[in-house]
Amino acid sequence: MQKLSNIWLFSDLANRLPELVNAANTLAEKVSVFVLGDQQQVDQALALGVNQVHYLGEQPTTRITEDYAETIAHTLQQNEAPLVLLPATKRGKTLAAKLAIKLNAGVVNDVNHIDIEQGIKAAHMTYGGMAISEEQINSNTAILTLSNGAFPAAQPTAVIGEVVNVDYIAPAVAITCIERRAKQASSVDLNKAKRVIGIGSGIGSKENLVVAAEVASMINAELGCSRPIAETEKWMDRERYIGVSGVMLKPEIYFALGISGQIQHMVGVNSAQTIFAVNRDKNAPIFQQVDYGLIGDINKVLPALINALKA
Amino acid sequence: MKIITCYKLVPEEQDINIAKDLTLDLSKAAKKINTFDLNAIESAIEFKKLTDVEQITALSVGDKSLENVKLRKDILSRGPDDLLTVVDESFNQLQPHASAQILSAAAKQAGFDLIICGDGSSDLYAQQVGLLMGSMLNVPTINAVSKIIAATQQTITVERALDEVVEVLEIPLPAVISVSADINDPAIPSMKAILGAAKKPAKQLSLTDLEVGELATPVTPISVMAPKQMDRKQIIIDGDDEEQITIFADYLRKSFN
Ligand SMILES: Cc1cc2nc3c(=O)[nH]c(=O)nc-3n(C[C@H](O)[C@H](O)[C@H](O)COP(=O)(O)OP(=O)(O)OC[C@H]3O[C@@H](n4cnc5c(N)ncnc54)[C@H](O)[C@@H]3O)c2cc1C
Repeated sequence: MQKLSNIWLFSDLANRLPELVNAANTLAEKVSVFVLGDQQQVDQALALGVNQVHYLGEQPTTRITEDYAETIAHTLQQNEAPLVLLPATKRGKTLAAKLAIKLNAGVVNDVNHIDIEQGIKAAHMTYGGMAISEEQINSNTAILTLSNGAFPAAQPTAVIGEVVNVDYIAPAVAITCIERRAKQASSVDLNKAKRVIGIGSGIGSKENLVVAAEVASMINAELGCSRPIAETEKWMDRERYIGVSGVMLKPEIYFALGISGQIQHMVGVNSAQTIFAVNRDKNAPIFQQVDYGLIGDINKVLPALINALKA
Repeated sequence: MKIITCYKLVPEEQDINIAKDLTLDLSKAAKKINTFDLNAIESAIEFKKLTDVEQITALSVGDKSLENVKLRKDILSRGPDDLLTVVDESFNQLQPHASAQILSAAAKQAGFDLIICGDGSSDLYAQQVGLLMGSMLNVPTINAVSKIIAATQQTITVERALDEVVEVLEIPLPAVISVSADINDPAIPSMKAILGAAKKPAKQLSLTDLEVGELATPVTPISVMAPKQMDRKQIIIDGDDEEQITIFADYLRKSFN
C-alpha cells in the first residue's frame, strides 16, 4: 500500500488522540498534530511518536474550539494536506465543516473504515444503521471524523517530534463562550460491560425498572436502554442509551426487555455474541434477531425470572 | 427577527427494504419530514417568546416530492408563516455540499437573521448541511444546540451539550445553528393549524432563479449496502408461565459459560 505523505490531526478531547494517531500511522509516512491546551497536552501528543506538534497555545475560556478553524486552515494551506482526521465529536464535526469550506475539501463523518488504495474512500453508517455507505473523496484534501472506538489507540513510544508554534487567526465574527459547566461524569462505560440488559418502553413503570436492576445484578449485567427510555421518559441517563444515535456495543450477552427491535436500536447490539429478549408481542421484530426469545408479559416474567435464577 | 428553518424529506425508514443483494430498496418508502427538522421548526417558534419574530420561513431543496400537498400542509401546520422550496427532478440524492450551496443561495435571496437546521437527517446522517451553510454564508455557525436561553435582535444565547461539558454561547446574528433532537418535544399541530396551513403562502424556485454557480461534488457515494447479519438461533418460547420462564432462565444461565 502506497502511504500518504502527511496526515494532520486535531482532537478536542485528549483521550481520543491516541486513536487518531494510530489510524494515521497506518496510513501515512508523517503525522502532524494540532494541539490546543497546556504543556502537558503537548507532551502527551509527542509521547505518541508524532512527527510534528503544531501548538495552538492555551485556549482562553471565552473562546470556542471551533473558532480555531481559520488558524488551522491557514497552516494546512501552507502545507501538503491530503488527509485531516478529527474525532467524530460535535466539535470535530463543526470544525470539519468549517475547514471544508476554507479548503474546498470533502467531509465524511462517523467514519469506521478508511481505504487509500485508489484515492481516499471512507465508510460510515446511513439510514439509521440499516446500511453502510462507502464514499469517495474527490477533493485534494479529505476531512474525516472517526467514530469512537473504530480504530485502536496508539501506545506511547519514543519522542521524535518537534514543536511548531502557531499564531491565532481570529474568525470574522466570533462566538463567545460565557459559561462552561462540566457535565456529571458518566457513571457507566457500557462499552466495557460483558453483559447488558436493554430496557425498552415495554418496561412500563419505574417500579419495574427497579426489578430489572435486580435481575441485572443477579447476572452481573449493566443496564442500557432504548431511546424512549432515555429521551422521552428520562428514566435512564443518555450514556446508557443504545443504538445508532447512542452507544454501539459488542457485549457477550444482550438481553432486551420490552424492546421492539427497531433497526436504529439493534445496530447498537448486532455484534453481541448471544441475544435474549422478552416481549409480549409475538410479532415484534426483535424475535427475528434473537437467539432466545420469550413471548410474555414483563410484569409476570420479571418476578418469576428472579425466582428461577435463584433456584 | 427573520428566521429560516430548513427541512428535508426523507424516506420513511419502516418502508425501506433490504434486497437479496444487500442493497436498499427505497421504492416503497413514502417521504416524510425528517424528525430532527421538526425540532428545528419548534425551536424557531420558541424564539417568538423571547424576541420579536417578524417571519418564520420553512425552506427545503429536493425533488418533486416537495410538491406533495399533504407534506406541505404538514410543515406549515407546525408554525412557519410561509414555505420556500427549490425543486428539481435531479435533486433526489443531493449530497450535503450541494444541498448547502442551494439552501444558502435561497436563504441569501430571501434574507435572514437566523437559520435553524436539525443536527442531521435520518437517511444520510451526514450532519453537515447547517454547518456548511454557515461557513458558505460566512456567518457564525454551531451544532448540537440543546437549549435556547435568550434572544435579542442582535444576539442569541444558547446551551450546547457536548460529551464532557455544557457550553453557554453568545452568538451574534446573522448566524446558522443546528439543533439536537432533545432540544424540545415538537407539538402536534392542532386542527385549526392544519386547516390554516392551506392558506399560507408557498413559493417554489428552480435552480435558475438562484445564484448558485456550479454544484460541487467533493464527495461521491460509491455503495450503500446493508451489513451482513449474524445468524441467530431464534429459539422462541411462547408463554410466561413458570415452566416456560424456567426454560428461558436455563438458557440464560447456560450462556454464561
Ligand atoms: C434517525 C433515528 C435514529 C434513532 N436512533 C435510535 C437509537 O440510537 N436508539 C434507539 O433505541 N432508538 C433509536 N431510534 C428510535 C427507534 O426507531 C425506536 O423508536 C426505538 O428504539 C423504540 O424503542 P422501544 O423498543 O423501547 O419502544 P417500542 O418500539 O415502543 O417497543 C416497546 C416494546 O415493548 C413491548 N411491550 C410493551 N409492554 C410490554 C409488557 N408488559 N411486557 C412485554 N413486552 C411489552 C411491545 O410489544 C413493544 O414491542 C431512532 C429513530 C430514528 C428515526
